[in-house]
Amino acid sequence: MAVLDRRGAKPAPRSAQRTWLWGALLALPTAWMVAFFVFSMAIVVLLSFGRTTNDGFPAFATSTANYRALWNDVYLELFWRSLLYALATVAISVLIAYPVAYAVALHGGRYKNALIAAIVVPFFASYLIRMYAWKALLSDDGLVNSGLRGSGLSDGVTFLNTPWAVIGGLVYGFVVFMILPIYASLERLDVSLIEAGKDLYHGPVRTFFSVTLPATRAGLYGGVLLVFLPALGDFVSAQLLGGASTFMMGNLVQQQFTEGQNWPLGSALTVAMMAALTVLMVAYLRATSTQAQEP
Amino acid sequence: MARARRLERKPMFAVVVTAVFFAWLYLPILAVALFSLNDKKSLSTFSGFSLRWYDDLVHNDALIDSLLASLKIATVATVGSLVLGTMLALGLERVRSRRGRVIGAVTLLPLVTPEIVTGVAALLLFTGVGLKLSMTTVILAEITFSIAYVTVIVRGRLAGVSLEVEEAARDLGCTPFQALRLVILPTLVPALVGAGLLVFALVFDDFVLAFFTTGVDPQPLPVRVYSSIRFGVSPAINAIGTLMLIGSALLIVAALVLPRLFGRGTSSLDLITGGQK
Repeated sequence: MAVLDRRGAKPAPRSAQRTWLWGALLALPTAWMVAFFVFSMAIVVLLSFGRTTNDGFPAFATSTANYRALWNDVYLELFWRSLLYALATVAISVLIAYPVAYAVALHGGRYKNALIAAIVVPFFASYLIRMYAWKALLSDDGLVNSGLRGSGLSDGVTFLNTPWAVIGGLVYGFVVFMILPIYASLERLDVSLIEAGKDLYHGPVRTFFSVTLPATRAGLYGGVLLVFLPALGDFVSAQLLGGASTFMMGNLVQQQFTEGQNWPLGSALTVAMMAALTVLMVAYLRATSTQAQEP
Repeated sequence: MARARRLERKPMFAVVVTAVFFAWLYLPILAVALFSLNDKKSLSTFSGFSLRWYDDLVHNDALIDSLLASLKIATVATVGSLVLGTMLALGLERVRSRRGRVIGAVTLLPLVTPEIVTGVAALLLFTGVGLKLSMTTVILAEITFSIAYVTVIVRGRLAGVSLEVEEAARDLGCTPFQALRLVILPTLVPALVGAGLLVFALVFDDFVLAFFTTGVDPQPLPVRVYSSIRFGVSPAINAIGTLMLIGSALLIVAALVLPRLFGRGTSSLDLITGGQK
């Protein structure tokens, strides 16, 4: 609105850059995002200070009881576990994603785009079905166990309900978000740098750690962020591949809003999760901006 | 490609990891597809080829209702987010004020917010203002989530449309609106096609937001599939899962390939990999 008021009196400026139309176009989507995103987030924050009424309904209040309730051994163990799983997911994703991105970006040749598409397509197909695929494969009567039994290697291994099944599911779910940014920064890398590195440092390993890796740091940081964010909030992997002993923050949040029906507590959990992620995001922004200032 | 050839020795380690990665990526999915064609209930021994599980699907009314609901949700959400996302992209690209940058940052937030947070927030908003949870609430939540994707893709394309083309149109007597409709929007068509296909696939497959914002009936397909997966693994889920995988794979491939057919320019693939500039 302000745009119209400010510009209305003057004749329309000729530069397209200053046309009122552009400002007017912004109004509706901005209003939408404020109503459905900003406002909804504000409600979560407000309700996290709320309480549950005697007849079981959530109500706004000004109590910190929900946050104090988070500070107990059961929840703290669960937070710690979520953090560990998310970090393990990030670490494993880096170990997988860097070599894959490297091979495709620098040695993919004319198949480069096809290879990237072959990586992207399954990742954008149903996350739920991919988690299910793991469940089917790893279940006690699944393909892996029947293969183990058939070959006489083992009487069968219980994969499901273990931390590794959950972490494996998270890696399977999100590793693409590590591959893509690393791939993008390797694509931009000047290959002559690697050659110069080989002349200077001898040996591909030293060259990798002193030239290639530092030059692609931004992509690596971006990938860490993009994998950590969804991994910490996930509840599908722990629900389908794990059990009560592998539950993560996401499962706790989901319980509060479905079976548990304690919305204020669930809101406090959500805010706590967002706070943790915001810290990480700020760290990311600082890390990448200081890098930009370096020569 | 020319540069790649200069790196002579292929790093064997990276190549091996990549090969294993591709096997790991595709084997579970292929196993699901294979056992959806099994004539017995077993998920480990393939005894014979049969379409019986697909036949079961066709006669499962609840599942068909869910499928139709998800198609409706994805269609409306795609149209809605294309309109809003394009408006936003156009506005942000040309309004280079501080206010524009703030709006730009806020609209990107859904991309970095875990879906569970967006889902919980939407649930609280809808119940808070007294909206009954239904397909409508799912659509509203999905549009909010998808706008950012459209905006990012359309802005990528807009960056390549020079201001002069638009000014030329104005000089030739176009009103700002005519310049938009006749000059700018046509150049955006490839980006809109790509973004539309991508958003359709993402919304159709989306589980978390739908889970938090859906009413009881009809449940979106992923929500219904989730509740049956919780009870265990079955060939019927393999069948519906295979169909969902094939459907979204086709959409994503189309989203990657179609914009390229319109000639040079940014495809969704370039955007996803950040290779547009």
